[in-house]
Amino acid sequence: MLAFLGRSIVQKIATLFFVSVISFLIIHLAPGEPSQIDPLNPKFTPEIVERMRKEFNLDKPMYVQYLLYYKNLFTGNIHSWRDNQPVLGKIWERFLNSLPLFIVGTILTWTFSFPVGIRSAIARDGIYDKSTTFLAYLLISIPGFFFAYILIIMVVNQLHVPVIGMQSFGVTAASPLVNVMDRIWHLVLPSILGATGGVAVLSRYVRSQMLEIIGQDYVRTARAKGLPSETVYYKHALRNALLPFVTMFGLILPGLIGGSVIIESIFAWPGMGRMAYEAILARDYPVILTVNFITAVLVLAGTLISDLLYMVVDPRIKL
Amino acid sequence: MAVIDQHNAPAAVDETYMPPSRSPWAETWYRLRRNRLALTGLVTFLVFFAVAVAGLALTSGKDPILDPARVRLQEKLRPPLATPKTDALRMEELPPLGLYLLGTDDLGRDVFARMLQGAWVSLTVGFVAVGISVSIGILLGGIAGYYGRNYITLGQLLIWLLLASAVILSFTAGMTAAIILAVAGITLLILHVRQNRDTPELPATIRWMAVPTMQVDTLIMRAVDIMLCFPSFFLILTVVALLPASIYNIMAVIGLTSWMGTTRFVRAEFLSLREQDFVAAARALGISDLRIIFRHIMPNAVAPVLVSATLGIATAMLTEAGLSFLGFGVPPPHATWGNILSDGKGYIFDAPWLTFAPGLTILVVVLAFNLFGEGMRDILNPKLRERN
Amino acid sequence: MKQSQNILLSVEGLKVHFLGDGPPARAVDGVDFTVRRQETVCIVGESGCGKTVTALAILGLLKQPPAVIAGGRITFDGRSLLDMPAEALRELRGRRIGMIFQEPMTSLNPVFTIGDQIGEAVLTHEQVPAEAVRQRTVRLLDEVGIADAEQRIQDYPHQLSGGQRQRVMIAMALACEPDLIIADEPTTALDVTVQAQILTLLKKLKQEKRMAVQYITHDLGVVAAIADRVYVMYAGIVVEQGTAGQIFDRARHPYTMALLDALPTKEKRGQRLYSIPGSVPHPAYKPKGCPFHPRCRYRRSACETVYPDMCEYGRGHRARCPVLFADALQMETSS
Repeated sequence: MLAFLGRSIVQKIATLFFVSVISFLIIHLAPGEPSQIDPLNPKFTPEIVERMRKEFNLDKPMYVQYLLYYKNLFTGNIHSWRDNQPVLGKIWERFLNSLPLFIVGTILTWTFSFPVGIRSAIARDGIYDKSTTFLAYLLISIPGFFFAYILIIMVVNQLHVPVIGMQSFGVTAASPLVNVMDRIWHLVLPSILGATGGVAVLSRYVRSQMLEIIGQDYVRTARAKGLPSETVYYKHALRNALLPFVTMFGLILPGLIGGSVIIESIFAWPGMGRMAYEAILARDYPVILTVNFITAVLVLAGTLISDLLYMVVDPRIKL
Repeated sequence: MAVIDQHNAPAAVDETYMPPSRSPWAETWYRLRRNRLALTGLVTFLVFFAVAVAGLALTSGKDPILDPARVRLQEKLRPPLATPKTDALRMEELPPLGLYLLGTDDLGRDVFARMLQGAWVSLTVGFVAVGISVSIGILLGGIAGYYGRNYITLGQLLIWLLLASAVILSFTAGMTAAIILAVAGITLLILHVRQNRDTPELPATIRWMAVPTMQVDTLIMRAVDIMLCFPSFFLILTVVALLPASIYNIMAVIGLTSWMGTTRFVRAEFLSLREQDFVAAARALGISDLRIIFRHIMPNAVAPVLVSATLGIATAMLTEAGLSFLGFGVPPPHATWGNILSDGKGYIFDAPWLTFAPGLTILVVVLAFNLFGEGMRDILNPKLRERN
Repeated sequence: MKQSQNILLSVEGLKVHFLGDGPPARAVDGVDFTVRRQETVCIVGESGCGKTVTALAILGLLKQPPAVIAGGRITFDGRSLLDMPAEALRELRGRRIGMIFQEPMTSLNPVFTIGDQIGEAVLTHEQVPAEAVRQRTVRLLDEVGIADAEQRIQDYPHQLSGGQRQRVMIAMALACEPDLIIADEPTTALDVTVQAQILTLLKKLKQEKRMAVQYITHDLGVVAAIADRVYVMYAGIVVEQGTAGQIFDRARHPYTMALLDALPTKEKRGQRLYSIPGSVPHPAYKPKGCPFHPRCRYRRSACETVYPDMCEYGRGHRARCPVLFADALQMETSS
């Protein structure tokens, strides 16, 4: 157990090192430099560009830049090139904005996928199964931004309520209750949008997993014992079908920081995705690299958690 | 039952009382015809393919029949099926169909012509990107699955590292360093090849080169792990934003960032197939590795790979549309479904057709790929088949 | 009258078809048999002849669709199982009829302890306190010959060997002391030595618990060891029935005779074993007339068109071969 833990942590740190090198290379090998963002801007005299290059260590050899960057990252001393704000503080602020979207979206995804998927599997090839199957494909295939527009048109035309942004303009002056309601209302559309794709994919996965288990011999044994069908499905079958989903819990973690670039830009939501998008536009390398690094850490932590969870829930796996 | 065997059975006895046998192709086609969703997907895809080819013919060239780039400012934002105001336009500006089938955009360009042009772009982006990712996936997955247990020697690792860093350095300033590394790498390579060819007995000076380091499988799977650490859309966005805007870059980037699934999958197929008896039999007959891989293993692994490729095309088309939507897609004036939609977002209440025409088209085409791919997965899956 | 009270299970003209691509597969095509109380009945036949489907149809465990019960009656202890509401049939399963399956490796749920899985059968059908269930589980495991039963109830199936798992399956089937145990090739997946142990165990338990056993197998050796009466099935129908003695000594159907000829015995030492030509027909493409005729040594032209009737040889011995029946009659009259 401890040996396994040690081995996988060493392995994951090695992976992280390569990720950091590769992301650094991708960004620095691409043509163009942040100092040349806008050659027409009269403020960018050669002297200023030179000063900027020095300040951002762009004049040093690449490995020095790499070491300096990660030294700064680990000492928490890293600043955005655009506005000179501390990157970690910026990320934390945006992270708090994305968090409600992420939480609501995840809860929606997981609470809808399971009942839908299980019910389709139990009543395989029935009307319910066929219609949810088609609906799932429809939701998987629809471009997110197009779906967002359809929803916005419908909501705005039918209900005449603002949907863009995190809260209505000037609402902060109103009573706390109005404030809270306003916030919740603004959350609804983007989190529904964020969840639809997830519900479609996950419910299909639940269905196929459940179908596979229902075909197993031990489910037939459970029936032969005379158990009621609810016990057969929700105890014997579901318990086995859930095993792979336990591992998916760990894989939710990266979603914490990823956010959705497209949904956040449509709804003008000042979250992580938007920040990453803006950083890419501005070639704000420290922000891009930090977001990337944190995501990689979360991915690796997520897989580790998944492995550990699997050991807890599956009696066949012992270390 | 062991005591009953067939060696003295008259052959005719068997055949009469067995279901008619079909070739695998006929069997697949038979099952496909019975799966209505998958068949609809296939038909839609074929129609889309024909439209894309026709669109390429009609909208390209010096003087295209349907000109997607023709600007008619006096005819902007006309609704679908509107007839042009003939008095305001010159002769060559008239749409050849006599009406704007899908309306016009904010510059008075014919949306139908632009959609036709975009069809070809979507098609090529989908196919080329998936072609790249599937090729990498099959190559790496096949190597990891079939040769995975072989060890890479220290020499090999060093050669690759030297050559790779030489290539990387040659892109940046360090040209001299790059040349030094390249020379070192090539020298080692020559040493390595000669040593392999001549004798198994190594001279003491380069004996360290034969020290095993890690398994091929480990190397490839760690590479997959590393790639999976990048958030994929974010990575694509970063690279596309940093590179000069071009349709080829988008194809390449989507392809180069989505091969991990295929690799894992092909590796698993190869691992299980290489343990099968027919492969053991082929090996016992002294058949060469390459022939085993291509004649015996590949045909068994290729069907599921094609299925995941079909689904990959759907994803790639959605990714392209998303990139175009964010303004990182195929550069103007080239029309793609994504940038038509993106251009239309400012007129969503006044000219909804600019959003709905491309949006619905993307939806239908991607849906077709998904339905066809998932249908084929069910059809080719023997486990599901038995349960029917 | 006494005779009919003694009958526990009777299956009459049962037909089970599987609908799918092409013509319906007639897996069970008119099967009749009876099981009396405290009797061991063996159903013998090659794989694919409809033995398992018949057993699943009795318990109502067939997947419908693709399976459909196309005709016939199943009566258990005077009640018709096919007309029974699903809930009542469920109550019957596990309590009055227990089933043991072929694959002990996959028939136990991997994520629950064996104690849970045995106790569950008791809890479903009886109102008993948890401690009593535990004690009963331990006793059951003890009875099926699992040592250290107290400790083993905490084990998961993967910690047991194949033979032990089959013992657990037997304990599970016995949990509510059913009147009938249906055992579907319970020893096929096991090593030969373990097979013998399981057979002995079943025989012993059958005596102790005074149960009836319907034992499904393809192994004539097993039949000889345990059967009171035997039904031989081929291509979805019963071709011959009788006591074990009648079947082994005076087989009257060419298929049974061919099976016996194919069995290695001391007398046949050094000879080449007989093997039946051809193979079992696909249930959707069965031959007309007698289903066995393409592989039969005694076939006449009539066999290709006329479906054979059961022919009565007396004292419960019947065979579905009019050709041999006519021969036998002739021999009797001439002698």
